[in-house]
Amino acid sequence: MRLFGIETEYGITRDDVPDMDPVVESMELVRAHLAASFERRWDYAGEDPHEDARGFRVSGLQQDREEDEFARRDAHRPFSFHDMKSDLVLPNGARFYNDHTHPEYSTPECRTLRDLVAHDRAGERIVHRAAQRRNRLLGGAHLRLYKNNTDFHGHSYGCHDNYLVPRSIPFPALAAGLLPFLVSRQVIAGAGKVGIEAQESGWVAGAYQLSQRADFMETELGVDTMHNRPILNTRDEPHADRRKYRRLHLIIGDANMCEYATALKIGTTRLVLDLIERGALPPLEVEQPVVAVKQVSRDPEIKTMIRLKDGRKVSALELQAHYCEIARRELAGSDEESDWLLSEWAETLHALSEDRSRLVGKLDWVTKLWLIETFMGEERIGWDDPWLASLDLEYHNVNPEQGLYLGLEAEGKAWRLTTEDGIEEALRSGPQDTRGGVRGLCVQRFSEQIQSMQWEQIQFRGSIRSQHLNMGDLFDPKEVRRCVDIFQQARSPADALAVWDHRKEIQT
Amino acid sequence: MPKSPSPLEEGGGPRRPETGSPDKDSLLKRMRRVDPKQAERYRQRTGE
Repeated sequence: MRLFGIETEYGITRDDVPDMDPVVESMELVRAHLAASFERRWDYAGEDPHEDARGFRVSGLQQDREEDEFARRDAHRPFSFHDMKSDLVLPNGARFYNDHTHPEYSTPECRTLRDLVAHDRAGERIVHRAAQRRNRLLGGAHLRLYKNNTDFHGHSYGCHDNYLVPRSIPFPALAAGLLPFLVSRQVIAGAGKVGIEAQESGWVAGAYQLSQRADFMETELGVDTMHNRPILNTRDEPHADRRKYRRLHLIIGDANMCEYATALKIGTTRLVLDLIERGALPPLEVEQPVVAVKQVSRDPEIKTMIRLKDGRKVSALELQAHYCEIARRELAGSDEESDWLLSEWAETLHALSEDRSRLVGKLDWVTKLWLIETFMGEERIGWDDPWLASLDLEYHNVNPEQGLYLGLEAEGKAWRLTTEDGIEEALRSGPQDTRGGVRGLCVQRFSEQIQSMQWEQIQFRGSIRSQHLNMGDLFDPKEVRRCVDIFQQARSPADALAVWDHRKEIQT
Repeated sequence: MPKSPSPLEEGGGPRRPETGSPDKDSLLKRMRRVDPKQAERYRQRTGE
């Protein structure tokens, strides 16, 4: 089983108005992507964030009251909920919409790290190009978009990584195997942050930490995502055949600018899921995971010792090395991508313990710290200078003329997995070996005939007979490619569905 | 960097970054152009 994707909520601001309306600006930003008028297509019927993977349904989320309040305040606006969301499905199989007043780009489902990173970068380009169009309407470069996770005033927004996993893995096994890994994953995947903050309670200067999101983790397990955020989210919304699959929905991660960090974050998590599925992980429990997440984040020297329930104390690097070594033992030789990951994972942990300067341009927290320390030396300023938070913010600016990371990349100081051609290809079409490619192809060829879409289904307009493509169990890459071929060659969705359904009948 | 060729190296990447100090004529200039008050003014609603 190998399928993953990333959803990124972008920060958005305007510098020509004193009080920007985030509802309108996020909506207009998404719509700036469109060449034609917005047409509602996304079907929310398949989404229910109240189902909990621990086997129950919650009556309400902590954010429901705040959402209701926003809905009451937004009710006077001259547009509907669906207009405000402006949900788009793009020709590359991605989803681009306004989620909680943040433009959100969800990559199509990917099977390889190369595809995933290319589609993550394609999302940056789509957001930036939409901002350019919006700025032309505004009459100046007033709109800025940030691929980060905090506003330095206690408001966080997410970058979630998602993995398809067999439902046959009991959720308690997933939780036990993942919690220590996620507590320590930030040494690789942290985006770095100047200062310390807490949920909606301000920001304090004077420190540098590994992660943008660690300050906002408040519990080990939970179904909430906007308040009382959990290290391991228990939302049970598979977007697939519920009898066979789960979607692991991780909200602890930072939005990464470095391609290497994105690849290692997703790749190492996928390896750990493989280990859990094999039952290869020995029991290991962190005594206070929420405390440990914050302690690890706030120690760039990575010397903090984490207490385990069996009384031992280990560092975050030792925890990661523990997982890395078991993965090497169990998974080496599985395939080339796994072997590359095992090698890079071990080398990265070694570099973090010996000479982290080797990771500039590869890990975000190391790269940002290197930039900021260089700037502090040049300008003779200290960690209490508020300028540093602004530099932190601008590291994540997606405008290549302004963003600090993108400036570094333009100088050739960032490790690249993608090529410009690869990103352009990811802008045009989805992966040809996942249902994301099928979804994108249907948008490219039969846009006018699509009535509604969900992650796992496409409903076409037409005859009395139901005309929908169910992709809830379309994960075998050979089957996906066959489906792509059929929809590529058919003259209409009805023709394609007739061939596809006949094929499925023969198989059963 | 990968010690040996891997499927990830198709199409020209990955490429090794040059990790000297930042180019003082461009990157530090870009950093100096950042408004020190930018983060103070930046406000978002809580997301997921």
